[in-house]
Amino acid sequence: MADQNEVKRLEKLAYTMRKQLIQLCCAYPGPVHIGGDLSMTDVLIALFHHGMKVNPLDIQDPNRDRFLLSKGHGAVCMYIAMALRGFFDFDKILETYGQVDSAYGMHPCKVQLPGVECSSGSLGQGLAMAVGMAISARHRGEGHRVFCMMGDGETCEGEIWEAAQTASSYHLGNLVGLVDRNKQFMTSYDGDFINLEPYADKWIAFGWRVIEVDGHDMNALVDVIDALPDSGDDKPTLLLCHTVKGKGVSFMEKNVGWHAGSLCEEDSKCALNDIESEYARNEGVE
Amino acid sequence: MASFNFGDRISGRSVIGDTLHEMGGEHDNLFILTADTGLALKTFRNDFPERFIDVGIAEQNMVGVAAGLALEGNIPFIMGMIPFMTMRACEQIRTAVCYQNLPVRLIGTGGGLTSGGGSTHNAMEDIALMKSLVNMTVISIGDPQMIRDILLASWDYPGPMFIRLAQGKADRVLYQPGSQQFTIGKSIVARDGGDVTLFSHGEMVFHSINAALELEKKGIHARVVDMFSIKPIDQEAIVKAAEETRGIVVVEDHLTYGGLASSIADVLADQGVCPKAFKRMGIPQIYAGFGSGDALHAKYGYDTPNIISAVEKMLG
Repeated sequence: MADQNEVKRLEKLAYTMRKQLIQLCCAYPGPVHIGGDLSMTDVLIALFHHGMKVNPLDIQDPNRDRFLLSKGHGAVCMYIAMALRGFFDFDKILETYGQVDSAYGMHPCKVQLPGVECSSGSLGQGLAMAVGMAISARHRGEGHRVFCMMGDGETCEGEIWEAAQTASSYHLGNLVGLVDRNKQFMTSYDGDFINLEPYADKWIAFGWRVIEVDGHDMNALVDVIDALPDSGDDKPTLLLCHTVKGKGVSFMEKNVGWHAGSLCEEDSKCALNDIESEYARNEGVE
Repeated sequence: MASFNFGDRISGRSVIGDTLHEMGGEHDNLFILTADTGLALKTFRNDFPERFIDVGIAEQNMVGVAAGLALEGNIPFIMGMIPFMTMRACEQIRTAVCYQNLPVRLIGTGGGLTSGGGSTHNAMEDIALMKSLVNMTVISIGDPQMIRDILLASWDYPGPMFIRLAQGKADRVLYQPGSQQFTIGKSIVARDGGDVTLFSHGEMVFHSINAALELEKKGIHARVVDMFSIKPIDQEAIVKAAEETRGIVVVEDHLTYGGLASSIADVLADQGVCPKAFKRMGIPQIYAGFGSGDALHAKYGYDTPNIISAVEKMLG
């Protein structure tokens, strides 16, 4: 059973992060991938603030856990999770996001933003890079883990499954894949055209250990992350995170129109109101 | 050092196998990746099994895994058949490797029409594709002995590199061992002459030298320049050829538009230098089909006899 003070701390961070996401989505004139940001907010908080060994003061520390954002359009979510951890300055993100010469753009760029482990944006490519990093760690006898966050939609890409097959063939127990399983793609819902189910079975058939978790339940997230197999294990692990796209904002939740967008002042007030009331409600229950 | 004569055939792949084995013994961060094509790498595989990664027939993944290894400070050498490596995984090479400017080395076998596998296996667009990628260095090797020098030079060369082999199986020796210096960004004057310049790379350097030997008997002095470094390119050699000789012929086992000939034309246009004559020889806009490399080079008009007649025609 997770330490409740720790869970409360993480929930508060996730709450802050959601509000910052809305603030940025309102301040930036162009579209922000807010739906998929909100769906993986709790998971990224659980990773960057609890599960992963990371050190903002030494971004090159060879013992750090590696995090690869394969769903690169969720960059803002990662920037803010990392800013809250001390890697970056949120005000700087807010001020410069998406502008010429800013390190903070729609998709993460490793060259422009040290601290980010890889550049992404072209979907389906993160897991193969994570496999390479996991092979390297094992060859050097390093005990850290490599985490790779994927969107469920991008797992339509064949390269994901090529990499999944390589990971299990090479027994990469130091590799942890995560799927933000919000059952929505950019323009459709899972099942409208492409049917990803039986989703967990596919990963199991590719030789992975699959752990399913409610991606918005901080207690559950802390529990599964704490119980991850040792990095010396012989099988890669997939954390299949069941999530809701747009989580926390009533008019965005499960709304295919909110894959990406920008918020006017009025809508952002409604969004913040939703986030604040949900947090107050949850805190009240405790 | 073994002694070879001009035109002798040796296996480029075995030179790679020997060289990477030697380098792998020195550098614990050298990895080799293949997509089920690693037979020539047996000694490396036996001695450094944990650094030999066969991902199965999955080129996109292979390039991604190599990028991940490079992100951790390793130098991955990928070996594969050119069309599948450079086209199936083109976007991965561009985004995972070149965008992140990672020192991944891609070694492709079966240059041009030498594969014997027909149009699926022919490599006719690779140089056009690879040279268009920002940060990418593009090398095309004719003489298999050169492979060793290039691989050694690649070790601390910045950024990604594509190395195209003439064939990989039975490549033709062009130079006496140790007689040439291979500097990336420079060309090799394989044979000097003042009447016409033959620019070529890979397999076609052999044909160009052969043609020059025949032309010499007819009193025509052809300069043969081995443009093994396609990007960066030796601009000086191109300008000199335009200024000093009566015409430029570019011969390459690649599409005539998009490869070396186009790079040379770009340099001439950018430098404002107009050659007295300019002729492209190579693969026309066609899927060339089956047959040996020699038979196809003859069919599409860019083997030794065709080069000779093209030069004679050019010089009138």
